[in-house]
Formats: sequence, C-alpha cells, structure tokens
Amino acid sequence: MNKILLVTRPKYDDATEYLAFYAGLIIKQAKDKNIDCKDFEGETANSKNITKFIHKKDPSLCFINGHGTETFLYGHKDEIIFDNKNCKILNNRIIYARACDAGALLGRRIVKENEGCFIGYQWPFSFIIDSKWSTKPHNDKVAALFLEPSNLVVNSLLKGNETNEANAKSRSKILENIKEVMKMKDKEDSEKLVLIKYLYLNYDGQVIHGNKSLVF
Amino acid sequence: MSENKKSGKEYEKYKELVIARIEIMPSNYKLSLGSEGTFDKDELMHHVNKVDHIGIKVIQMELRFIKAIAEGKLTKALVSA
Repeated sequence: MNKILLVTRPKYDDATEYLAFYAGLIIKQAKDKNIDCKDFEGETANSKNITKFIHKKDPSLCFINGHGTETFLYGHKDEIIFDNKNCKILNNRIIYARACDAGALLGRRIVKENEGCFIGYQWPFSFIIDSKWSTKPHNDKVAALFLEPSNLVVNSLLKGNETNEANAKSRSKILENIKEVMKMKDKEDSEKLVLIKYLYLNYDGQVIHGNKSLVF
Repeated sequence: MSENKKSGKEYEKYKELVIARIEIMPSNYKLSLGSEGTFDKDELMHHVNKVDHIGIKVIQMELRFIKAIAEGKLTKALVSA
C-alpha cells in the first residue's frame, strides 16, 4: 500500500460539477503538502482507468465523488466503477465516498473481513444549490455550507488524523454550520429551516464502517 | 415497517404535509439529490404529488427529519457539539 490519494471526480451534471470543484480544493491541498495524488477528472473517471491505477500504484486513500446507490459507485456518465463484484480491490484502504447511499450496503461490504475503512452516506448525500451561482460553484455560499464539511473528511486525513477523527470533525462541522444558519440575520426562518433540514440529514446519514483508527 | 419497505401507496397520506413543507423553499434554491438530479421546489412538489420514486425519496427525507425533531435528536446533537 502506498501513500497516494486517488480522486475520482466525474463532471456531467450540476451535482457532479459541484463535487468536482470541491474535490479540486482537496487536490490542491494534497499537492501543497507534496502528497502523491492521482486525479481522475471528467471522462477519465472510468472503471478501466481507475482499476488499472489501483492495481499498479496501490493507493491507500480513495476519495470517490459522484453518484451512488446502495450497491454501486459511479464514474463519468453513470459508468459503474465499483460494485459488489469488484469492490475487493478497495480492501484495506481508506475510502471516502461522497455519493448517495453507498454507506448502506456497499461500504460495509468493502471493509468486511479486512483492515480498511469506509466513510460515506447511508442515504442520499444531498445539498442545496443557489441557482444564481450554479455555473460558478466557488461563489455559491449556500452549497458551501454542505460541501465544506464533507471536504473536511479528506482534509483531516491528509493532516494525519485517524479515520474516526476525520469523520467526527466533518460531522461536527455540519453542526457548526447548522448553528451558523440559525444565527443568520439575512435569511427568513423558512429558508433557514430548509437549510437546517438537509444539513441535518447529511449529518445523520454520514457513517463510518471498518477500521476507525486507520491513518493515511 | 421500515421507511424503505413502504409501497408508494402508503406514502400517499404524507403528500400534503410534505408539499406544504417544500413550499417554503426559496425559489432560487435547488435540491441536489444525487443521480436523481437537481430540483427546484416546483419540480419537487410535482414528484411528491405523483408519489413517483423521486417523490418517495423526498417524502422519506422529510419523514426522517420530522422524526429527528420529534425525538429531540437534532437538539441533542447541537447541544453536545
């Protein structure tokens, strides 16, 4: 196993554009820390490329961005990259899947009978987009409330924290953001309620399976 | 019966409640629901009204949140943070 960060970030709809932008911030942080990083962006995020890289370079941390279900993780244009059949190649690694639902079944399977750790979501990872900024994710302060806490998982791992700590810091940041929303003076109560609801659902749905003291 | 095992018919009774709760969403907001897509409030209300698979997901999310509030889970999490 090598200290390499693998990032998948397909880009083909609003959600993946936002996830890809935020994953890009993590890639920059990794490069600033001189951490080896392989970026599968856009159409390069396909099963063939990713599988080949894992076999060849044996990365210890995989940051998967995109769509998911309870049993699949997808790459570019919904190509399946990991499922029950091939998920063994993720054994013994740290996996953070910023995708819907994979924490319910696939994540458990990935870490079954090995020393790996899976962090993900047991139901939809959802976030609010302010349509005024949908073409400029970096300006969207509403989406940032949701995506910055999720970036903290990998950010924390890059700093050398254990998997359990990385997960806890990320979830704690969601609660901080809920408190921040509660204090916002420029938003109506109804608007605050919408934000709090979906922030809380991500907090409640974020799960960790397997080895909780693994370090990148 | 768990939320995931309920049939579409069983979610019918929650439609009005969920639509009322979605109606307060600002018109410039869109909810990204993974591979299902990104929806503004009118689209969300449309799916909930039809009780299709996207509508069911939205209803499940609302019920999960209402339950968390009712059980004091959100308050407990905020107090302990």
